[in-house]
Amino acid sequence: MSAPHGPAWEFLLLFVVVIGGPLLLERARVPGIIGLLLGGYAIGPNGLGWISRANDTLPDLGQLGLLYLMFVAGVELDLALLRTYRRSAISFGLLTFAVPMVAGTAVGFVLGWSAPAAFLLGSLLASHTLIVYPLIRDGGLGSDPAVATAVGATVLTDTLALIVLAVVSGTTGSNASTWVVVVRLVAGFAVLGGFCFYTLPRAARWCFRRLGGERTVRYLVAIAGFLAAAVVAEVFGIEGIVGAFFAGLALNRLVPNEGRLMDRIDFFGAAVFIPVFLVSVGLILDPRVIAEPRTLGLAALFVVACLGGKVLAAWLAQVLLGFTRARAGVMFALTAPQAAATLASTTIGFQIGLFGTSVVNAVLVLILVSLVVSPIAGRRFMRRLPRPSDTERPLGSRVVLAVSTVDPPAEIFQLAARIAAPDGGVVHPVLLRRESDPAHDAAAVSALETMANAHGVDGAAAVVVDRSLAAAVAHAAAAHLATLVVVDGPMWSDRAGAAPPAPVLEFRGEEGALLHAATSDDLAGEISRRAATPVDV
Amino acid sequence: MRWIGALLVAVLLAGCARGAPAAGDFRPAVAGELTVATATLPLPGFWEEPGGFEYGLAKALADRFHLRLRVVRVPFERIVSGDLGGADLALSQVTATRDRDRVLDFSEPYLAAPPAGLARSAIPDLAAARDTRWAVKRGTTLSAILAGFIRPTTPPALTVDERAALTLLAAGSVDAVLLDLPVALVIADRSGGGLRVAVQVDSDDSLAVALPDGSANREAIDSAVRAFTDNGTIDRLAKRWLGAHLRGTEPNIPVLGRGR
Repeated sequence: MSAPHGPAWEFLLLFVVVIGGPLLLERARVPGIIGLLLGGYAIGPNGLGWISRANDTLPDLGQLGLLYLMFVAGVELDLALLRTYRRSAISFGLLTFAVPMVAGTAVGFVLGWSAPAAFLLGSLLASHTLIVYPLIRDGGLGSDPAVATAVGATVLTDTLALIVLAVVSGTTGSNASTWVVVVRLVAGFAVLGGFCFYTLPRAARWCFRRLGGERTVRYLVAIAGFLAAAVVAEVFGIEGIVGAFFAGLALNRLVPNEGRLMDRIDFFGAAVFIPVFLVSVGLILDPRVIAEPRTLGLAALFVVACLGGKVLAAWLAQVLLGFTRARAGVMFALTAPQAAATLASTTIGFQIGLFGTSVVNAVLVLILVSLVVSPIAGRRFMRRLPRPSDTERPLGSRVVLAVSTVDPPAEIFQLAARIAAPDGGVVHPVLLRRESDPAHDAAAVSALETMANAHGVDGAAAVVVDRSLAAAVAHAAAAHLATLVVVDGPMWSDRAGAAPPAPVLEFRGEEGALLHAATSDDLAGEISRRAATPVDV
Repeated sequence: MRWIGALLVAVLLAGCARGAPAAGDFRPAVAGELTVATATLPLPGFWEEPGGFEYGLAKALADRFHLRLRVVRVPFERIVSGDLGGADLALSQVTATRDRDRVLDFSEPYLAAPPAGLARSAIPDLAAARDTRWAVKRGTTLSAILAGFIRPTTPPALTVDERAALTLLAAGSVDAVLLDLPVALVIADRSGGGLRVAVQVDSDDSLAVALPDGSANREAIDSAVRAFTDNGTIDRLAKRWLGAHLRGTEPNIPVLGRGR
């Protein structure tokens, strides 16, 4: 008999921590992320020593998890909100980046740190993660202007923070002259931007069309996409996480937040990749170091610079952008949490030797404090905000594609996808059946879904049976909370006797489309513009 | 009032952070000097006069901390028992083990160093290894692996250092010497074809900087090792002095797996 060892043992430890860590701590009302960090500490060289300092497997997996985390951060961001609230989002984004950045950098210089270390500290304090957003959204405030501004600002804030990280890590330890490094980085960002925002979406779209019938293939294409972007970044000396984040932004429109691909990305991220990253960070955690006065002192400085900076930025937004105090409070709650981007930058700083364990442990304390403070602030200020009345959801947020055959024309899928795309919405294909029709064939429904996938439609196929096709249209629209129903042919008329909860667009092939039950005069024009096809009312 | 109180506490705590360097603070035992202990001087590839992988690493550390470099010889047994002879750290192909960790502090590893057998002819498998006559430096993790895993039928010759073991090999008194893989590769490379790395043992053993137990310099050394790994310093030193791969095993040499 021998002591447990090898990859099976290491993975067993890892997954036991991933399962047990959050469960144990959430019972004590502590965020699960802390459980993963503590679990990593427990099994690592500073704890029980079951994972040795020389182990490469967990740190390498953690690196993959970090790339995945940054990809998810980019793909989940709601770019539609950024477009809608562009001015306030950019203004607030600059404020909530600049104020903590200046404060953090000043802290670094006051402590006598080198310029790269000080700037990196500033940038990691300036970033934030929208951990509190689900709480705010579930409170009915998802479309509040302040919330939308803060969410939109996140794109700018995290992008700027990662750019600072890329510059710092690119110049640290390089023997080349500053100008050579700057030119290399500028060229790198140009190539990376071109790859991510031009090549990658087109390649992904092509793959989804040609290969995307299989669900697993679509997921793997997304993974390959962000890994490719990370490789491109690293070729130019830019941290791979910047590439992964940009890939997420670039694929954002191809991955609707409510679609199945996003569901899969979330699932594997939440189940495997991101917890593995957090456990690998926990390997560095050392409570003995945290308890040292020096570390606590650093943590206090970081908390004051970060949270103080975020408070000041929210206050300036209140003054300059005309938000109320309650809204400014919600904006602070949304931008205070430090997690993904902060951990990413800290980890990179640690890996390149700019930060020691004291700084890393102090940042972990900052993360814990921010995760405690921000939900409290969120709940407190949320209560003071007026709940919005039933606001209109964007036109393309939930498009139901109702067909009466299993092999509809390809153009109808493309039409529905074009309408949904600007709002980052999802298209749900629905096969309609009358009660008198023969029972549907499960294989045929599966084939419909495969065809839909190939045309960029990501929603799950469903079957709706009713007394008539028109009733089935109304039923499908209600069941899916549709914002628009696209029907293949004259399945609907205003004399159908059933009022649909959403407008119905009847596809007529080359003749264009006919809009029923329009809710506004502008709707036909908007649909026509998106669908690039004439629409009659 | 609560917020003012919290701010005051924060300011007090912040005072404790005054002068806390980002990557740790290195305080040498002798002002202005980085004193590095090593056991075998010279040792091909590692400590040559001047040059060598560990010499290059020591020089890089001295440059990072803006110190002059001074090298002292301290016997290996003293180093691994926790006595560095007053040096700030030791660079002497030391592998971190639990026993040694009780009397020393170790940095993050800087070089993978699985055990490897240096011999004139191939050792294709464990059975052949057991029939081989071995020499190994005593008191090392290598001697423990020889005794605990390979278990040769002929008791191995335990020598005071690598040179003595290689002398026995040259004289034909033993068939093979167990060394760290990077050391074995250098010697084989410089033997003009007379010697080869005949076998490796699967292991995640790595070399690390040894510091006095409880040293306050560990954080600074760790940060330095990570920086050198990231910026390619360790890669460059290994390619120049060892001509070796840094991670894991050599691809064309038989590997003996072992239970640990």
